[in-house]
Parts: sequence; structure tokens; C-alpha cells
Amino acid sequence: MLILKSFEPYLFLLPSIIILFAFLFIPLIWNIYISLHDVSILTIIKDWDFIGFENFDNIFSDPNFYNSLKVTLVFVCGSVLLQFGIGLLIAILLNQQIRASGLFRTLFIIPWTVSTVITGFSFKFLFDDSFGIINYGIEKLGLESIGWFSDPNLAIWIVIVANTWYGTPFTILFLSAGLLSINPTLYEAATIDGATKFRRFFYITLPLLKSFILTNLILVTVWTINFFDLQLIMTNGGPLSSTTTLSLYMYKQAFEFGYFSEGAAVGILLIIMNIAIAFVYLKLFDVRNKK
Amino acid sequence: MKQNLPSSFVSVSKWFFAEKQVIYILLFTYLFITLVPLVWVLSTSFKSNEEAISLPPQFIPANPTLDNYLFVVTEPHIVHSLFNSFIVSIGSTVISVAISALGGYAFARFQFKGKNILLSVILGLFMIPVLINIIPLYIMFSQIGLLNSLLGLILTFQILIIPLNIFLLKSYFETIPRELEEAALIDGCSSLGVLRRITIPLSMPGFAIAAVLAFRFSWNEFILPIVLANRPDSMVFQVALYEFVSLYSIEWGYLTAGINIALIPILVLMLIFQKQMVRGLTLGAIRH
Amino acid sequence: MAKLKILIPLTFTILSLFFISQMNIITIIAQEKITLTAIFAEPKERWDMLLENATKILNERHPDKTIKIDYRVLPYSDTRTQILTAMAGKTPIDLVSLDQIWLGEFAEGGFLSDLTANTQKWNKSSDWYTQNWEGGLYNGQVKGIWAWTDVRALWYWKDLLAKAEIDPEQLENWNGYISASKKLNQVFQKDGIQAMHLVGANHSPDMWYPYLWMLGGEILEKRDGHPTKQNYWYPIYNSDLGVKALQFLKDQVEAGIKPQINHYWGQEFADKKFAIMLEGSWLLGQFPKNEWSTLKEKIGMIPMFPVPNISNTNTSTLMGGWLLSIPETSQNKELAWELITIMLEPEVLIPMLLQQGYLPTQKSIGEGAYSEKLKSTIPYYEELVSLISLGKGRPNIPEYPIVAEHIRNAIEQVYNGMDPKQALDEASKQSAKALGW
Repeated sequence: MLILKSFEPYLFLLPSIIILFAFLFIPLIWNIYISLHDVSILTIIKDWDFIGFENFDNIFSDPNFYNSLKVTLVFVCGSVLLQFGIGLLIAILLNQQIRASGLFRTLFIIPWTVSTVITGFSFKFLFDDSFGIINYGIEKLGLESIGWFSDPNLAIWIVIVANTWYGTPFTILFLSAGLLSINPTLYEAATIDGATKFRRFFYITLPLLKSFILTNLILVTVWTINFFDLQLIMTNGGPLSSTTTLSLYMYKQAFEFGYFSEGAAVGILLIIMNIAIAFVYLKLFDVRNKK
Repeated sequence: MKQNLPSSFVSVSKWFFAEKQVIYILLFTYLFITLVPLVWVLSTSFKSNEEAISLPPQFIPANPTLDNYLFVVTEPHIVHSLFNSFIVSIGSTVISVAISALGGYAFARFQFKGKNILLSVILGLFMIPVLINIIPLYIMFSQIGLLNSLLGLILTFQILIIPLNIFLLKSYFETIPRELEEAALIDGCSSLGVLRRITIPLSMPGFAIAAVLAFRFSWNEFILPIVLANRPDSMVFQVALYEFVSLYSIEWGYLTAGINIALIPILVLMLIFQKQMVRGLTLGAIRH
Repeated sequence: MAKLKILIPLTFTILSLFFISQMNIITIIAQEKITLTAIFAEPKERWDMLLENATKILNERHPDKTIKIDYRVLPYSDTRTQILTAMAGKTPIDLVSLDQIWLGEFAEGGFLSDLTANTQKWNKSSDWYTQNWEGGLYNGQVKGIWAWTDVRALWYWKDLLAKAEIDPEQLENWNGYISASKKLNQVFQKDGIQAMHLVGANHSPDMWYPYLWMLGGEILEKRDGHPTKQNYWYPIYNSDLGVKALQFLKDQVEAGIKPQINHYWGQEFADKKFAIMLEGSWLLGQFPKNEWSTLKEKIGMIPMFPVPNISNTNTSTLMGGWLLSIPETSQNKELAWELITIMLEPEVLIPMLLQQGYLPTQKSIGEGAYSEKLKSTIPYYEELVSLISLGKGRPNIPEYPIVAEHIRNAIEQVYNGMDPKQALDEASKQSAKALGW
């Protein structure tokens, strides 16, 4: 019985580990392998030559790669800040004793239940330069219509808006779960002590919500970095590559141009980037903890 | 204590947190932003294809019609794909919540060798962009005969959900007071018994959310199923819907009707789980 | 015991789900049919139409067998992804539809069967328009059969041009085209109708090549001295001719024609949002079939791209369309080939062409014995067919997709104000590198 006890946590974890190992880890090894070989549409069913880090060299000498890094920075910062900010605010508002909070929550979640394909097409249609409803409204107001998708400085923001519309419900849902997990008696005690709502928020809610916020930020950031379907559908990376994020760059390398090795190499860079960012988040939250 | 903060800050915060009207104004503003594209989707689904993209856009259809819905629900392969989507989504929801609950519980409650490493590895695996796994997954599936099978989809969808739900449920279990479980352990319950009798009932809101997340990911996933299961008899709804988005034209009427049909199960699920979440809340109030 | 209570239902669920998912496969094996698998690109109706008849005929010819065609119709880019992954996984597939520009990559990658011997026995290659037949060749071998094509031409609304007092002939040359756009914009801007359509979407190179070709330019040419392949393709689209062709697009933008990022494949023209549109023959499909007989009264068509000088330049156009190929992994190559030949039989093909408004690649359907039905049904059919001999396909070399991306980028740069020469020079440098120079 005692021996079983010490194995127990591993038994609990076994199913997750088997699935993740089979469907995520083995494919990852395959990707690492091909990133060091010459695998393209022309060689995939033939012999793969070992070429070391040549694929990485190719990427690092491609100006489009550096451009996509810049685009990724804007896309990720914009999307994460907006999604987290709005999501936290709405989750807190829903947690105040308000009427029909369940109905609100259900309605708010809808965008996230629509697939990215649909979101992409809908926003593309709404913001269409010539036929979009938004420009139609602007013209009705007597203003000059705006080339949402033809202006390289603007297009990325339309994608961010679409992504925020689509992604924020997750943050609302996730942080709502966190807020619901807080024991209401803690608030009651604080209210008796005369703490304002504002102070209760900063001294009770936020610290207790910390692990949810951390997980939420990591999840949303990783999703945003890996996200490519929305850009693919809405702008296909244009105009002038102004919406080609690193993930879309990877998609194009692998599937549009058939450079599978380069695609795998970019994929590995993305993983490294994700891990580095998660690490930064963890450190940031640790520092605050020590104070 | 209060004097330490600038008074304007306090009053702003007071205004911010106290005023119910402001809360409702903010909520309705966000609701408006959320609903505008959806109202458009809803109204388009009642328009004929020609009217769907006509200018000036009409929010209320001039000749409302149910034809789009009739077409979508009477196409045999689309109905079949809906059925497939249900099997896949319910199957992967059940499996992922069960598996992640076990995993999350292990991380929340046990101290064991390699705990932090395992946790980091799971988090690390989550960082992998699924896109690069498509070709190796396809090769693997073709070798073990899981191509074009719903079971194959159920299993692959787990990679999208498990890491997320493990972290969610781990955080959730951590909020449940340990003393409750320790008391039960002393009473002679096994760890699994504790999980079942004490932890699970108290974690219902967490499970509710984990289930919603799992269902949503399975219901909406498009990139994996279109490559791994695109035979007419194993097609899921999202893939079947894409039939209306062809290179030459988008059939907005059918597409939007399909979108709305796809929304129904999620909405029903959300309403059910709302109740679950509230019940969890009242249970939570009992714990001291 | 507590553990068992959780594990038993869980195992049961997994097992039952497994059986549900396997049931269909079991029934197929039990019936012992021959099943041909195929991957096609959308739209779906065209394949439904073709295969309904073709399957029937194929089964009649083989009374001893029950042949079923298991085909999936996927979106454009997913068709490509699916073929790639299926080949990487060595999945047996018997028939695929290929965009003509994919042929080079797929043939070079070893995905496609050599159909040369079959076509020699078939002996029908002389009935194909030369350009269309050659579009299916790679290194001298037949790798695919070009099944139908489309050509791009100039369409206009007759009433709008009349109202703006523009003679359609004016549109045939570059100067007239640009001055017409200014006039049309003046007259119709307030009604929300734009003068001309200019493609700003992904396929913008396709709408630029005709200008390059009519001036005598080419996208690529074979050159000696390649580092690894000795004689190989080199980008020459940045020649003076290329610059001149791209300058014409720039002139259009400067005259107030807006490049359209989104493309609705002629729907925007059918909805009268544009007075004039250079668009493929599929545009006809955007008009209801019952309007086709009277369509010539409403819309006009000039079978050409505008030329710089009407007296001494021949026009040109781009031909697209789909090829049918048999993957190397097919285990029923003979049967698959027979299916292709049936699909290309005029009796099977023509109803689909009529439905979709596509143009044939076979002379006998284009202008020969079978053309009567098409002539009387498809508006401007003869004029459109006349364009086939002037049309060109895009190079079907393995590196074409990346070269097209470079050209697309150059065009986008020019739309945003860059000098055409600079944009093309930069692009061709990248293309040369991609081609291994």
C-alpha cells in the first residue's frame, strides 16, 4: 500500500503524459530531425541530406524573417494587452452582484465559439475597403472612406481588433473561474475591517487571482504567437508583408512554398520564443511575490 | 490607511467600483461590440444569397427566408458531419476533463520527484505550434490506421486541451482547502476517494469551465480535421461548412445559417454550465 | 474499488467510441468493392456533375466489378496541403486535381505517375490546344491532363459606358483605358460605382503577365552557367518590357483606380459596383443561368487585355484551369486512367462546362463538332474561345510559387508608390536566389 502511494501521482499523470508524448513530443522530434536535413516538396519522398544548420542560416539571412519578427511584436503586444485588459475588466464587472450575469457571460462567450475561419471572413467583409459596412457607415457620415486593408500601418490593427474580438471571451471565462474560486468569506471579513472595494481588489482579489492571471497571460501569449489562420484569411500577410507574423511566415515557408525544413526550423524558433516569454512571465510574477 | 492614498484616486476608484450604472454601461458597451458582427451573421442567414452582399447593407432582411436553414439541415452529408462533430466533441470533452482532472490533482496535491520538471515539460509541449505537427501526425496516423477516424480526432484534440485544462484544474484544486481533504484521509478515505467525495463536488465550477473549453476546442478545430479526417463519412461540421467558402464565391446565406446552427450546442452548453458554476459557488460558500 | 468505478466507465466510453468510428470501414471491406480515392479542389458541384456520369459509365464498362469513387472536395489551399501530406505519408490516392502551377513541384517531387504511354495509346493529344497540352508536360513526360480552362477578358456594362459617353473601342489601348477611367469616375463616383477593377489580391501577378507577354517579355528564360544544374531558369521579368508593363499598372493607380485587396471573382461586377472589369470567363457564372440568353444586351465583352498601341501590338491573356493527374501512390493506375478518359469525354464534360461557364481544352469541343451547344448557351463563347490561342499558361517549374510571391510583392510595392524598375529588380534578385543562382 505504501509503495503504491509513492507511485500514485505518476499514475494520475500517466494518461496525460502518454497522449502528450505520442502526439506532441514524437512529432516535435520529427521536426527537429527535418530542420537539420534538406526536406522540401522536391525531396520529401526521396533521401533527406543532412545539412546541419543551413536551414537556420537561410532563415537568418532572409530579410522577411526580421520583418515578421517586428510584425509579431506589434501583433502579440497589441492582442495580449487588449485581450487581457478588457477581459480582466469584464470578468471583475461580472463578478459584482449584477443582474443576469449568467446571460451576459453566455453572450460574451459567443465570439470565442465561432471558428477563426468564420471570424476572419466576417471581419474581412465588415472592413472591406469598397463594400464593407464600416466604410459604408463612414461615408454615410460624410467622411472619406478608409482603406483598412490597403494601408500597411492600419491592416495589422484590423487583424488585432478581430483577434481581440475573438480571443477576449477566453480571458473573461478563465478569470471568471478564478474570481469564483475566491472564498466570499474573505471579502466579508475585509468589509467588516472597513476596507474599500478598491483596497479589497488589490489586497485580496489580485493576489488570490495571481496564478490564474499568470496562466491566462501565458496561454493567451502563446496562442497569439502561434496564431496564423486569421492573418492568412484576412490579409494573407499583406499589404507589403505588414501582417506576416512569424507563424504565418512559417506556414508560407512550409505549405505555400514547400520548404518543410525551413518551416520546421521556424517552428522551433517559435517554441524557443514561447518558452522564453513564459519564463519572463514566471520571473516577473516571482519578483512581485517576494516583496 | 486611507489617508496614504491621494483622495482623488480613492474617489475615482470608489466611483469605478461602486456605481452600478457605470458597470452596466461598460457591460452593454462591450456587449454591443460583441454582438455587432453576430447580428450581421444572424440577419444574413435569413437573406437570399443575392441579397446577402448587396449594398447598402440591410440589417433587417427585405425578404426574410428560412431557405438557408432548410438547405443546411437537409443536406445529408452536413447532417452527418454535425453528428460526427457531436461524437468527437463530447468524446474529447469527457476524456480530456477526466485525464486533466487526474493530472491537475497530482500537481496540486502531491509532492513527488520531478514534479516541477514535469510541469515545465507539459507547459513546454503546449508551446509547440500545432501546424508543424501536421505532417508527422499524418504519417503516424496513416501507419496506425487512425486516419479518417473519429477516434483519431478525439485523441489528437487532446493535445490542444490537456495542457490548458491541467493548469486550469491545478489552479482550481489549489483553492480548495487542504484541511477538508486531510480530514477525510484521516477518516480512512483513499486519495481517489477523497478526489471523488470531497474534491470533485467542490471543483464543479472548475470542471464546468474545463468542459466548456474542451468542447469548444474540439467543436471549432479546423486545421487538424481537414487534413486528418476529410473523408465524407468522417468529416466534422467545421470542415463541411467550408464547402460554402469556395475559391470563386462565398455563399454567405448558407455559411451564416451553418454558423448559427454550430452556435446552438455551445450556447446550450454554456447555459447548463452557468447553473453548474453557480451551484459550485454555493457549495464554495459552505467551506470555511 | 473506487478506482475501478472511474476506470470502467472510462474504458467503456473509449471502446464504444472506437467501435463507432470503425463501423463504416468494416462495412466497406465486407462488400469488397474497388474504391478509387480522389482529392479535388472546390467548388464541389463541378465534381459531383462529372463523377455522377463518369462513375456510371465506368461501371458499365466493367460489369464484373463494383467501382466506387471516394472523393473529397477541399478548399484551394487545403487541396495542396492534403496532397502534400498524403504523399509524405505514402497514402494511396488514385486521382487528384492540380492547379496548373503546382505541376512542376509535384512532378519534380516524384508525386505524379508518368502518363506518356497511356496518352500515346489514347491518341487524343492532337485534339488539345497546344498551350493546354504542354501545360501538362514536365521534362517531356505527360504528368497531367488539362481538363478545362478559363481566359481573362475585358467586361463592361453597356448602359454605364453609354451614359458616360464612352466608346468601348477606346478601352482597347492603354491611353484610352486610363482616360475612360477618369471620365467614368467623374460621372459615377457619387453613385458608389467605381470605373475599373484592378486586382490587389494574391493573384495580382496573373493580371500583370498579359501586359508583359503582349510587349514580348517573359517571366523566366533558360540560361547557361547555373551553379548546380548548368542550364536552368533565370528571372527576366525585370526587363525593360516588364518595367513598362508594370508602369501601366502604376498609371492606373495614379489615375485613381483603387487596387482591390478582396476579390469576389466577378460578383462585384455582376453587382454593378464596377463599370469595367478584367476578369476570367468564370464571371459569367455570377449571372443567373436564366439571364444568359439576354446577357449580351446588358454587358459587353472585348476579348483582350488593353494594348499599348492598337495598330502594332497583339494582345495576350492568361489561361488557368485544372489538370487531372494520377499520383505515384495509386494502386489502381489503369482504372484511374480510364476514369480520367471518361471524365474528358465530351458527353460527360460538356454538361459541366455549360453549368459552370468554363472553356474546353479540346478543339473538338471548342470549335469542332461538339461546340454548337456551347455556342448557343454560353454568351460570347466564340470570342472567348478565340482567346485560347493567344493565351499562355504560367511556368510550371517547381520554384514557381515562390517566384510568384516575389512578383506579387513587387506589384504591391508599386501600388504603394515604389518605382517599377526598383521593385522588379529587387524581386528578381530574390527569385534568382530561389532558383539557385
